[in-house]
Amino acid sequence: MSLAITQGLDNTVERPGERAPLVLGDSTYSSITESVSQIAERPPTKAWVIGFMISASLASWFGICIAYLIYTGVGVWGNMNPVFWGWPIVNFVFWVGIGHAGTLISAILYLFRQDWRTSINRAAEAMTIFAVVCAGTFPGIHVGRAWLAFWLAPYPSLNLWMWPQFRSPLLWDVFAVSTYGTVSLLFWYMGMIPDLATFRDRSRNKYRRMAYGILALGWSGSSRHWMRYEKAYALLAAFAAPLVLSVHTIVSFDFAVSQVPGWHTTIFPPYFVAGAVFSGFAMVLTLMIPARQIFSLEKLITVRHLENMCKVILATGTIVGLAYGTEFFIAWYGQVAEEKFAFINRAFGPYWWAYWIMVTCNVISPQLFWIKSNRTIPWRIVVISIFVNIGMWFERFVIVITSLSRDYLPSAWGYFSPTWVDWSMLVGSFGLFFTLFLLFCRFMPIINMAEVKSTLAGQLHHHHGDH
Amino acid sequence: MTDKQEKKLHGTYAEFDAVDTLLAACRRVRDAGYTKTDAFTPFPVHGIDKALGIKPTALPWIALACGLTGTTIGLTMQVWMNTIDYPYIISGKPFFSMPAFIPVSFELTILLASFGAFFGMLALNGLPKFSNPMFTNPRFDRVTDDKFFLYIDAADSRYNHGGVTKLLGDLGGAHIHDVYDDDSSVAVPKPLFVIMASVIFLSLIPLLLVARMRVTTSDSPRFHIFFDMDFSPAKGAQSASSLFADARAMRVDVPGTVAVGQLDEELDFYTGIDMDALARQDKPRAARLVRALLYPDDPEAPAATDEPAVAEGPAKPADEPAKPADEPAKPEMKEEPAPVATADPIPAPATAAAVEDTTPWLKENPLALSLEVLQRGQTQFEIYCATCHGNDGRGNGLVNRRAQRILATAWVQPSSLHQDTLYSDAYPDGKLFSTISNGIRKMGGYSSQINVRDRWAIVAYVRALQASQNASLDDVPLDRRNELTKEKAAVDRKLAEQAEADRQRAEAKAKAEADAAATEAAVVEPAK
Repeated sequence: MSLAITQGLDNTVERPGERAPLVLGDSTYSSITESVSQIAERPPTKAWVIGFMISASLASWFGICIAYLIYTGVGVWGNMNPVFWGWPIVNFVFWVGIGHAGTLISAILYLFRQDWRTSINRAAEAMTIFAVVCAGTFPGIHVGRAWLAFWLAPYPSLNLWMWPQFRSPLLWDVFAVSTYGTVSLLFWYMGMIPDLATFRDRSRNKYRRMAYGILALGWSGSSRHWMRYEKAYALLAAFAAPLVLSVHTIVSFDFAVSQVPGWHTTIFPPYFVAGAVFSGFAMVLTLMIPARQIFSLEKLITVRHLENMCKVILATGTIVGLAYGTEFFIAWYGQVAEEKFAFINRAFGPYWWAYWIMVTCNVISPQLFWIKSNRTIPWRIVVISIFVNIGMWFERFVIVITSLSRDYLPSAWGYFSPTWVDWSMLVGSFGLFFTLFLLFCRFMPIINMAEVKSTLAGQLHHHHGDH
Repeated sequence: MTDKQEKKLHGTYAEFDAVDTLLAACRRVRDAGYTKTDAFTPFPVHGIDKALGIKPTALPWIALACGLTGTTIGLTMQVWMNTIDYPYIISGKPFFSMPAFIPVSFELTILLASFGAFFGMLALNGLPKFSNPMFTNPRFDRVTDDKFFLYIDAADSRYNHGGVTKLLGDLGGAHIHDVYDDDSSVAVPKPLFVIMASVIFLSLIPLLLVARMRVTTSDSPRFHIFFDMDFSPAKGAQSASSLFADARAMRVDVPGTVAVGQLDEELDFYTGIDMDALARQDKPRAARLVRALLYPDDPEAPAATDEPAVAEGPAKPADEPAKPADEPAKPEMKEEPAPVATADPIPAPATAAAVEDTTPWLKENPLALSLEVLQRGQTQFEIYCATCHGNDGRGNGLVNRRAQRILATAWVQPSSLHQDTLYSDAYPDGKLFSTISNGIRKMGGYSSQINVRDRWAIVAYVRALQASQNASLDDVPLDRRNELTKEKAAVDRKLAEQAEADRQRAEAKAKAEADAAATEAAVVEPAK
């Protein structure tokens, strides 16, 4: 068998009539199992322990801040008239956006038969769920009386004697984000069942075997099970694809359905979705490149995978840039004084610095991906991705803060200043995210082994056919 | 071997190394007439359904049914809750508004369809199933790694132990193995049992407590998680309090103290008056002003009772002497806390003629003039002043225009800022500052809304505005004059064009009217 032909091959070069290999080196089924499983089986590395300690401390600090907030009241934030949404909502939209790449990679690329998704979809899905956890925290505590957040649910209440207002986008948001979180969790977990069975079968420790055994639900690899499993996976992908588009659309409705200048625009849904995909892919790259290096997964997550993701970032980044331009054009073309002012104020008002950070990071930095070396040298990709993440946080900051701080009534204008709790919660939410992600890396199969083996089988089969 | 004989035989399987050999074997087994067969693989092998004769699944129909259930639940829930049971009256919007109900219905469709796909798959596959006789052979552990297994069930009508073993061996299968009942203990491992039992027991406690509370009565008051959020200890404005001798809940500043951020500057800065000069000229009045600044909340502070032309108070109209009947002096106002920047309101111009204003007003703006200060002044002017005085300061702002249109009788037209009496020689900066702070005629004082620095910035801007409306070409720097001349020519041309257009329109109208009259006359004529 001539798998060795893929050794040292540059799979970013397109050869006409040939499919570029997605699994490199002299990989076999068992070497794939080995390289993924050993991550969870060996004792944790020093880098992991240090990373976990830092992120877990930040996550604990996040928890302490939440307790302090609930105990004291929302006054500990910088939210003040006229900016009552403040950073909690900025962070919410930011994290929901991050949570879009996972399902996009899993569902939409699956439906388009993009085989290169197989090595990265698992980690991206996990990232989605952790991002949704971070995102869900913020509106939950932003409601003020967090212990009454269940009032959002339409349940027959004996206290209120009333139902929620279903014509409000904020309630749509409750349904959209919770559905998204649930379906993403199902999708992620279902995808992991065969790999959890691999972990179960490799366990030599009784309790470890039992824990993975329970999670694997007794998966045996039967062809009948595989057939129904694949059908269910395709169905979930088909359901998740419109869902992922609907979630950020509905998040954008939170803004677009209101009448605040700078928010009340029809471009918001596509613009938000493009931005979400953009930021999500950047976050996937920010996480996957170090993980690939630390866990030596270069043969499975190849440069071609990275390059493809860079191309998605380039495309969506350009869409986002176009959306910024369109917003300005429509503001001018619409000739509504407040709308015109809102956009001039964004670029040249008191928050000009945030606007230009956003433009630099989101419009200019992805354009660097036109150069091939920027798409294939990992550390450069990481740097650009981090800039994209910064830019996307500022995009939400610009949208939420500038519009609210200066709307129709000049005498009600204000300037938002964050407090230490705001800062702590932003940093703390990253701590929570990384804590969950590191735990995932340690205990769960971070690469979809079954699918990668299936890709390898196709590669082998294809190779046989040529000869 | 002997104990195995007593156990039930489930079937036989063989191990394969590669997909191709497995598929070939599957086809041979199918062609040999076996139907109760299965293959076990580490990943989904394409083409194996056909090779084994596996029928397609009904899973998509289950998902469809669940999805439609979701849509129905979503729609009926929203329609019933928001249209029938509890309609929200909001700006006359329809109670039944289909577009607004789409998002939630969509989300519930997806949610239930996903549940259908996931749980339907588990149910059809018979999962979770933790005990499986297939797992008794340790070699079978590699089914999730790199080995492929072909299994023939003993329940198959063609099953014959010797024949099946030989067939699988001929097809290239290795390690042929018979599957017997799993004889390992069925008991849940003890530690796991203890953990599960305690979790279940602990989770029942709150439920039992709730259940007990629902069926019993209690004398103790309701539990408040955050008592002070349900019952705020804060007193409302103007409410009484038993804590203090004066029974007022709103407290005044401690006499003789200055709050942070107050009185950072000279006294002149807050009054617009040269206080040293005032002290020389009219000591009691200066003392009163200082006292009002230092002890703004002191009810004992002497009020302006001795000088009718000068009244102290935050938003007190300054024209009391001129129109005493309009706003009678309210004695209780004297006791109200006065803002820090309380100063002498200036007499109205009408009064000024009668009573000579001898106050030593600051002649110059104490702020260092800069473009920034002027721009700040402009912003604040346009926020607070322009609504009445107009952006150009001619006293014809939006409020004034509206008042004229509705013929508001109580309305006093705001002054134009472009008149001789309001230029800096007649109306010093300090006096203008005081007017902004304390108000004049119908205009209220702005000291509580605009901070001191911004009030001085407005003064600076008003001076600039006055200069702009009364400047000659000589005031413009040489290098800018050309530009201005050009601009003026353009504006003049535009005005001339407009005047010409207006004239033509008027002419056309007059002509049309004349024509109409002529036609009418012509129509009337033949009738005669």
